Amino acid sequence: MKSWFKSGAPWIWMTAGAVSISLISVIGLLLLIASRGLSYFWPSDIYQFGVNTQTGQSYTVIGEIYDRELVPTQRLIEAGIKFDNIQGEEVERLLVKTGNREFVELDFQWILSPEITQSDTPSGLAVFERSKNGNFYGFVEAVIADGKRIVENKEAALEQAIERAVELNDLALDLQNDEIGAINYELERLRLKQRKYELEGTLTAEKVQELYDRRAELNLEYREYEKQLFAYRNQAKRDEVIVKDMRGELVSLPMNYILDVAFPNDMNFFGKVARYGKQISKFIFDDPREANTEGGVFPAIFGTVFMVMLMAVIVTPFGVIAAIYLHEYAGNSAVTKIIRIAVINLAGVPSIVYGVFGLGFFVYMFGGSLDQLFYPEALPGPTFGTPGVMWSALTLAILTLPVVIVSTEEGLSRIPGSLRQGSLALGATKAETLWRIVIPMASPAIMTGLILAVARAAGEVAPLMLVGVVKMAPTLPVDGNFPFVHLDRKFMHLGFHIYDVGFQSPNVEAARPLVYATSFLLVTVIVALNITAIGIRNHLREKYKALEH
Amino acid sequence: MELNLNKHISGQFNEELEQIRNDVLKMGGLVEQQLTNALNAVNNSDQALAKRVLETDYLINRMEVQIDQECTRIIAKRQPAASDLRLVLAIVKTITDLERIGDEAERIAKVALESFNKTQQEFLVSMDNMGRKAIHMLNQVLDAFARMDVDAAFEVHKSDKILDKEYEAITRQLMTYMMEDPRSIPKVMDVFWSVRSLERIGDRCQNISEYVIYFVKGTDVRHTSEKDIQNNVLS
Amino acid sequence: MISVAPDMSNKTSSVIDLNNLRDEQIALRIKELDLYYAEKQALENITMNIPKGQVTAFIGPSGCGKSTLLRCINRMNDLVDTCRIEGEILLHNQNIYDKSVDVASLRRAVGMVFQRPNPFPKTIYENVVYGLRLQGIKDRRILDEVVERSLRNAALWNEVKDRLHDSALGLSGGQQQRLVIARAIAIEPEVLLLDEPTSALDPISTLTIEELITELKDKYTVVIVTHNMQQAARVSDQTAFMYMGQLIEHADTNTLFTTPKMKKTEDYITGRYG
Repeated sequence: MKSWFKSGAPWIWMTAGAVSISLISVIGLLLLIASRGLSYFWPSDIYQFGVNTQTGQSYTVIGEIYDRELVPTQRLIEAGIKFDNIQGEEVERLLVKTGNREFVELDFQWILSPEITQSDTPSGLAVFERSKNGNFYGFVEAVIADGKRIVENKEAALEQAIERAVELNDLALDLQNDEIGAINYELERLRLKQRKYELEGTLTAEKVQELYDRRAELNLEYREYEKQLFAYRNQAKRDEVIVKDMRGELVSLPMNYILDVAFPNDMNFFGKVARYGKQISKFIFDDPREANTEGGVFPAIFGTVFMVMLMAVIVTPFGVIAAIYLHEYAGNSAVTKIIRIAVINLAGVPSIVYGVFGLGFFVYMFGGSLDQLFYPEALPGPTFGTPGVMWSALTLAILTLPVVIVSTEEGLSRIPGSLRQGSLALGATKAETLWRIVIPMASPAIMTGLILAVARAAGEVAPLMLVGVVKMAPTLPVDGNFPFVHLDRKFMHLGFHIYDVGFQSPNVEAARPLVYATSFLLVTVIVALNITAIGIRNHLREKYKALEH
Repeated sequence: MELNLNKHISGQFNEELEQIRNDVLKMGGLVEQQLTNALNAVNNSDQALAKRVLETDYLINRMEVQIDQECTRIIAKRQPAASDLRLVLAIVKTITDLERIGDEAERIAKVALESFNKTQQEFLVSMDNMGRKAIHMLNQVLDAFARMDVDAAFEVHKSDKILDKEYEAITRQLMTYMMEDPRSIPKVMDVFWSVRSLERIGDRCQNISEYVIYFVKGTDVRHTSEKDIQNNVLS
Repeated sequence: MISVAPDMSNKTSSVIDLNNLRDEQIALRIKELDLYYAEKQALENITMNIPKGQVTAFIGPSGCGKSTLLRCINRMNDLVDTCRIEGEILLHNQNIYDKSVDVASLRRAVGMVFQRPNPFPKTIYENVVYGLRLQGIKDRRILDEVVERSLRNAALWNEVKDRLHDSALGLSGGQQQRLVIARAIAIEPEVLLLDEPTSALDPISTLTIEELITELKDKYTVVIVTHNMQQAARVSDQTAFMYMGQLIEHADTNTLFTTPKMKKTEDYITGRYG
């Protein structure tokens, strides 16, 4: 035993164990969120249950099985449910998503297994995705298209009708976002212009007239577009579908709210795979609906990536310049030592503190001053004096600055002195040597710093809640209106989205898979950002592979 | 300048230099022995001794080759500089001269194999006197070499003149003999060649003394007048 | 009859009397130079003239100050904070430590090659034109010309002419060192300082570099620091022996390696204890 200890084998086992544990945790975490999150999009079968309760009621439930669990019988009895014919300690119960929110109290329902008298997955059961009130489950009875009632070949007719409605809805949405959005934007700018003239005291009658004319013109245009918009909407409303729901009643669903329909019970495996892919792409590329519990997360993905990139653009020059000064010019005095320690300690400050700082310094002081100087016409409405994507990026830039500084300094100190001397001996000044030799060679280290910074920044949520993130942003920070990039806008963020969906949504049960899916997406985005940066770094490293001095 | 052969950082190099130096001294001793034996053989008409001298010469030749090789090896491997280089070069040249002295001794020994009559024995007496001087000179120069003593070497250098004078005297004497008795010419010529050998030995000893001076002072004093050596080198 | 004695010494032209140099024969004058690292004196009262168009070698044991002295000549010691220098070094009768002297232009006139090959992680071409680019020369024709000329002078052209745009780091150690020399002579310095240029190279590469050095002295004044005495003996015309920060002996190489005047020199070059 003693010789075993002396041989060093325990040490190897211990170190290998540490690695294995971290590896298993990472893989386990990824597998968990991937399986939970990705299975959400799989089109599962829709069940029709015949339920006969102890109290003698019997009814039909249609829906997807969401979850199964075992509950102690005792607890159910205490909850006031009567049991006559149930033995055993525990009872299985099912959580069924029934949809049809406008007709039932809860669109999730617990059913005790022993009470189920009949269970099957009948063909022809449809699930409708709607832009309002969630999913609807039921049997399609008829389609009313263009005033005609179609019973024969109703699936094809339904598909056609939905396609038409979705197209019209898209047209309406585009009109609203692009043309009408542009008009609204310009109207706002005109208002600000007028206010500016007023503040400057240069508002003349001509200018008023000019602005008035332009505004009238825009209003005219607006009314034109509005008419078209209503026309689209009315056209979309033309068709409807008659569906028999689980109560056995016929319900008419107007087509303009229906986004998609599927018949999972009638799908073969490939059909389900195709549907699965479609659902995932909708999740990634669509806007969220119904308090973020439905639809996609595109604005959040965009917001996250945009903010992180903006942060990278800010933090890189800052950090690199600071590191260069510290390492190349500042010497090695007590002051620089203190600065170094301060920089390293900065990395240990809780991120929420940065949030508070960002809010106080950037948003209120800095942004407020900017508003007073450059946007007085918008006051008291703030432009930059309110949380926004730029302040978020700046706050995170400060948060990640130490990482960039430290790794850049590390990189600078690894450049062999002989190369610097070689450059100096050819008549280069120190600045030229830095610019032509040292910084290119240190670029892999700078990239390493950036990778760490990006990884940290993409995962931060707490400070962002104070300086720019919102649960629902009406517009992206980048759009078609001049100047195209709007750094003052608020934005959505995947991390905050997870928090919002998981803990702030009205229906926690429904949101849980979405939380997993979003988490998985966030991890994927971070990994993608990192892999890009690592790719660039490896390329640079290859290019500047220094001599092994 | 003291001889500090043993102060190199490389102990091996010390040993090698010491070794060739000792070999040279050993060779010198052997040559001295040969010369003494040859002269004794002539003096005492000791044919056996003369034969031994003739038989022993190959030892000197062998030593010359051996030391030469050793020097070549040192130059190749150690790349000696300054005094070390001069030492090796001095040794290479010294052994050449020593070998020649050995050859001269052989030539003298050959004379001992001849038979001389009473009158002819007289030449041999005067030759013996010159021979002693030559042996002394060789002895002195080897001593100077062993101690790397410039002053002693310079003394040897100067003493060659004495030998030259002696040579001239004997030559005149021998010529008188030849004129008096032409029948004796062949024998006299034998003696003459021996005397000439002795004179050559003196020259070679002088050469060796020049190498000693070159080694110690780093100046080549060949073909330089005594006065110049005295004034420019030794002062 | 041979009327004229054959000239046995084929190096007569390069043997000049160090004590009797004419002004135009002098590339550098070092006058009473003292150098201190913090409180420690590294060079003591060095006075010497470095002749033009010749190879001068500095030899001496480690820490004797020979590299330090070399670095004084293009002010590389400026990079050491604690370094303090007294005395003067004259290039064209101008003290290089004068305040009016621009260090960068001094270093263009006095090139330097270091112990280990230090090519920049760029292409061979970019390495050679680095100094020219610093001077703002952009004309492709001039650059191409200089690259070819420098590489030819550095005896490297034939080996690399087909891969000028490959990374310099792919060259062998000896080639890298010749590249560095090409880089140094691309800006046409007057003096070329070589700080143990072959100490990291194999014997064959060393010989190539040595051969190169003897060719370079036609155009440049070369000062070389070397640990390898045989190398100093082979390549240099003048040799200066330094010991403990002092210049012990400065003489033409032939004399110094056969009959040194000072005992310390003798002991050093014959490998004896000091």
